[in-house]
Amino acid sequence: MLSSKPNNEKVLKVFSPIRCLSKDQLPRYLEGRLTDVEKHLVEQHLTDCDLCFNALQALEQEGGTEKYQDLTNKLQRYVHESIQPVSHIQKVAQYTRKEKNKENLLVYFWLVAFIGMAIGSVYVLRGHLRNQPVVNKVMAAATPAKDSQQITVTPQQPIVTENHTPATTPTVTQKPAPPVTPAATAAVTKKADSLAIIKAAKAKALQKKAAADSIARKQYAIQKQDSLKKAAADKNKESEKKTDDTPVTKQVTKDQAPPEPVKKETAPVPVNSDEYLYKAAMVYQQQGNLSEAIDRYRRIESVSAGKYVEMARYQLAICYRSKGQMGKARRMFREVVRMDGSLKNAAQQALDSM
Amino acid sequence: MHQQLTNLSDKELISRARKQKDREAEGVLMDRYSHLLVAVTLPHLNNNPNLDPNVVFPSLLQRLSASLKTQTIYKANEWILHIQKGYLGKPEKSTPFYPSRDGRDLLHIENTVDKAATNIIDREDLIVRLGQALQRLNADDNALITQFYLENKTFADLTATTGLSREKLRDQLKAAKGKLAKLFMNQGYVK
Repeated sequence: MLSSKPNNEKVLKVFSPIRCLSKDQLPRYLEGRLTDVEKHLVEQHLTDCDLCFNALQALEQEGGTEKYQDLTNKLQRYVHESIQPVSHIQKVAQYTRKEKNKENLLVYFWLVAFIGMAIGSVYVLRGHLRNQPVVNKVMAAATPAKDSQQITVTPQQPIVTENHTPATTPTVTQKPAPPVTPAATAAVTKKADSLAIIKAAKAKALQKKAAADSIARKQYAIQKQDSLKKAAADKNKESEKKTDDTPVTKQVTKDQAPPEPVKKETAPVPVNSDEYLYKAAMVYQQQGNLSEAIDRYRRIESVSAGKYVEMARYQLAICYRSKGQMGKARRMFREVVRMDGSLKNAAQQALDSM
Repeated sequence: MHQQLTNLSDKELISRARKQKDREAEGVLMDRYSHLLVAVTLPHLNNNPNLDPNVVFPSLLQRLSASLKTQTIYKANEWILHIQKGYLGKPEKSTPFYPSRDGRDLLHIENTVDKAATNIIDREDLIVRLGQALQRLNADDNALITQFYLENKTFADLTATTGLSREKLRDQLKAAKGKLAKLFMNQGYVK
């Protein structure tokens, strides 16, 4: 039993893998300069390995091992040299190059991403400006109109008061009349100046789109101002005449004076109703209630006549434009142009800029 | 230069050269077998003066390196011999290397023996089974294997006793080993 056990263990040797012969084992085996154990291991390997056995046979046939040693050294050097460039330094260089490439790619990626984001934000902003801020646009479009309204309304008041004061107060003599008239004209001119300043400031603030409108408004306002000035001048003349007359009427009757202003008040009523309608529509437009404003303007357009129709149409066109209904806006502007009124140029400009 | 790599097995080096594209591992492998390659190629170089060692060896190494990336290699020595023979036989054509069935059987048994080295139960089992396989082997082969492996006789001793040449003796030993491996494997299937 005891003797058979190591014998049995040796069975495993049959299939235990052994490494190929090393560079100097080969000639040493040939020359018989190996220990018994080593020799046995080599021979065990030789039974398995064709390469080593062939090498051994070849060396035996060729005899001298000088060539073998020489060529082996050369080949090993060749192998080492071909590996050397891919050694540590090379690896580090490769790694750094890789990292650099990665970084570059990352930089490009972020550049592209930022550009994309910028383009996207610009697009979104444009969309936002186009669709959302109706209020701002309406304000922009309406502010000059407001001024014009003020002009239409305010200068009338002194005129009316002028008309009234001398009529209602018979105690007033010739004296107050002359100072009133220059004051009124001064007020008108002053207001005109201040309005001009405000308009200039607002015109600067207005956007490019609104520019055409504002210019139109200005022109319109100036025209109106002129007409109003003329009207004021006429009325002043009238009032002068009246004041000239007042002593006469004073002398005749005190009651004759009231009917006159009544007549005068009834006369501008139809104009005023259009005006108020227009003003109300303006207010809606300024508040941003565009559909209501459009309704109002439509009514003005259908009911009233003259310049208010044109103005209403013009405002309708602006409303449509700020609502984004470009087709309708264009049609309205075209109609305004066709009407050949005072707003023709403004409408034409708006059409061109659309 | 590559102290860690020189201690690695062929298998590990091959896998490194393949998976990590580690040229150093490849170089260590080539370096390990370079002397055998030279020895095997020497007779060809001597017989054929047209062959220039400055051309033959680099191109051989290139071919080895190319096939290392694609081929299944169980044993580096077999693979190198195959490539070398292919190169010197038909330099224009590179025949792929397929390990034989017997070679794989042998490799399998070698691996199991290797693993059993640390496990006593496995080892006992393996010893018993190998002994059984050895008993079934015919008398000549059994005697040869017993003398060579178990009694540690050298080639010289065996050639002297049997009267065979060393090459023939080696062939016989190899054949006997193959038969033993086959018997062992079949036994494994029976079990």
